Amino acid sequence: MFDLAWLIPALPLAGAVLNLFAGRRLGSRAGWVASALVAASFAVAVAVLIDLVALPGEERRHAVRLFEWIAAGAFRVEATILLDPLSMTMTLVVTGVGALIHVYAVGYLENDPRVGLFFSYFNLFVFFMLMLVLADNYLVLYLGWEGVGLCSYLLIGFWHDRPVAASAAKKAFVTTRIGDAAMMLGLVLIFVHLGTLDFETVLGPEAGALSNGAATAIALLLLAGAVGKSAQLPLHVWLPDAMEGPTPVSALIHAATMVTAGVYLIVRSHPLFEASDIALTVVLVVGLLSAIYAALASIGQFDVKRALAYSTMSQIGFMFFAAGMGFYAGAMLLLVAHAFYKALLFLTSGNVMHGLHDETDLRAMGGLRSEMPVSTAWFGIGALALAGVPPLAGFFAKDHIVNFASQSGRATAWVLASIAAFISAVYISRPLFLVFFGRRRTEARAHEAPWRMHAPLAVLAAGAVTSGLVLGLQAEGGLLERFLEPVTGAAHGTGTGPSEAVLIAVSIVIAVAGVAVAWWIWGSERVDWQSFPERQPELAGWLSNAFYLNALYSWLVRAPGLGFGRGLRVVDDRVVDGAANELGVAVTRSSRLAPILQSGLVRSYALAFLLGAVVLLLFMGLRF
Amino acid sequence: MRTPISYFLIVSGMLFAIGTVGVLVRKNALVIFMAVELQLNAVNLSLVAFSRMHNNLNGQVMAFFSMVVAAAEVVVGLAIIVTIYRRRQSASVDDANVLRG
Repeated sequence: MFDLAWLIPALPLAGAVLNLFAGRRLGSRAGWVASALVAASFAVAVAVLIDLVALPGEERRHAVRLFEWIAAGAFRVEATILLDPLSMTMTLVVTGVGALIHVYAVGYLENDPRVGLFFSYFNLFVFFMLMLVLADNYLVLYLGWEGVGLCSYLLIGFWHDRPVAASAAKKAFVTTRIGDAAMMLGLVLIFVHLGTLDFETVLGPEAGALSNGAATAIALLLLAGAVGKSAQLPLHVWLPDAMEGPTPVSALIHAATMVTAGVYLIVRSHPLFEASDIALTVVLVVGLLSAIYAALASIGQFDVKRALAYSTMSQIGFMFFAAGMGFYAGAMLLLVAHAFYKALLFLTSGNVMHGLHDETDLRAMGGLRSEMPVSTAWFGIGALALAGVPPLAGFFAKDHIVNFASQSGRATAWVLASIAAFISAVYISRPLFLVFFGRRRTEARAHEAPWRMHAPLAVLAAGAVTSGLVLGLQAEGGLLERFLEPVTGAAHGTGTGPSEAVLIAVSIVIAVAGVAVAWWIWGSERVDWQSFPERQPELAGWLSNAFYLNALYSWLVRAPGLGFGRGLRVVDDRVVDGAANELGVAVTRSSRLAPILQSGLVRSYALAFLLGAVVLLLFMGLRF
Repeated sequence: MRTPISYFLIVSGMLFAIGTVGVLVRKNALVIFMAVELQLNAVNLSLVAFSRMHNNLNGQVMAFFSMVVAAAEVVVGLAIIVTIYRRRQSASVDDANVLRG
């Protein structure tokens, strides 16, 4: 099957081209075509996986060379597909979850006239995402990296007739561009120091031969790219606004796949990060801070999708945290589990919006469980999985990461991560209780979504329930960890701190306590949460505005930028245009003198002629 | 004994001055035209006089040239004047000032 691996990215690309040119003619069938192609891509990926698993562990790295892309002197880049455990894990998530979200989107965008264009972008996104994860060198990875950024821009702004959506798309593009520019510099540095961008060389023994300074510079520049793409501090401001896009877009791009590309980049490039003595620590700190920050911000949101967006940022913070500890398999396990339950949560909130005519305000919902029982079950599964209630996926994934912090002797990090886990349990149970439980706060009649929107949700829910059990039952030696070991190496705790049983007990208590607290505040009607903003305006303001970082950036970047632009406009008006205009005015004015001479009287011309002749004669006469 | 060259030049200069004054003070295009002819002939006279002084024919050849050119010029000039007169019922050069700035 390895020879057919090129089909994995080629099928979605074919779908993108087909839907772009024939989407109008396909009409409502466009979505099914797109879904079928992504599903076919998933099938090919499964076949490749079976062949890969048949090989012994150390040989599970197969590069399929497609063609030479760039050859300029010593700079050679080949378009190569890399099949190894890490890339296959990502590929299965992208195509598997991607296909399910495609199917859901068919129902969600049923009445949109531009459905062909939507699925063209959607398939194009899957293609670029697959290029990103299947690349065998940094330049092809960067191609996919920029490609998914483009698709993210196109899809956030898909309803571009709404100004908020258009400006959110711009914000996402520009903000991630900051990280991408840094990442590009990192790639240049890699080439300067190692003379190639191929993974086999860059991530081989030569990475360890880099000087500490060079490795640190490269790793931090790559981290900047990852931070931008994965919406971590300080480049996270675009993600909440990106929720202006259609809900399937939020689920696929801004929850399950694209935003986790940063985690993939770090895990893939881990030899470079390990060659530096501080880079991994920076990753750890960024991840932990983002996890806590976004968890707190999520509690303050009243827009269900924004709350989920901050939740995504927080979860990716956990993944960064795990990668920063060198626990790459843990980061990947959370990535896979998160792809399931966060896609489930987003799509279920899409059901709610669908049922309530695009209502997203949590304050205008409540008590929907009687009308939307199935969606309630899906959201409940997703929320409990994220909260870390055993035996759902999030429990194993998050538990391993938090416990690893303790077992590797990072007590402070363990405490902070546990706090973040507690807030996670609170913030994700909050929309569950606010939307589906309690009393009705709206007059609108909700209706349950049709079966074909529930079908993909059922598969995602199954994944959210079982993926942790199947892939990561044990912290060390779980199925996913053993599968990834040839790429990531094994991570072992030092065995310090409390025993594993104690840690697991603490994790369970934290998760259950978080859900209970959320129930007490938002589900039990015993706490007047609706008047909280009036009683505590400052705290509520800090939370709902995500600690005013957006306003700070606005003040630091946007206002000076606008001022600079206005200054340039004055320069343009006064100096550039001014010079041209004033020159024209001067010519016009001076030309008014000419008509005095041109009187139209032949005799005056003759007189001037005569006087001229006299002057000439006098001149000549005086000279000789 | 030959007539001194200065006599010719004085006559020529007087004729030229009369022509010049005519061009400058008269309004009627036909009269101005005649004055221009007077100037041309004044110059012709001096050319012939110099030719005789230097004992070669260059000056006389030049005079013939200018006569021929003047004749051609009269043909064109009169045609223009007649056309202007037909259009404006006037041969005054002061009225023909549409090309003023």
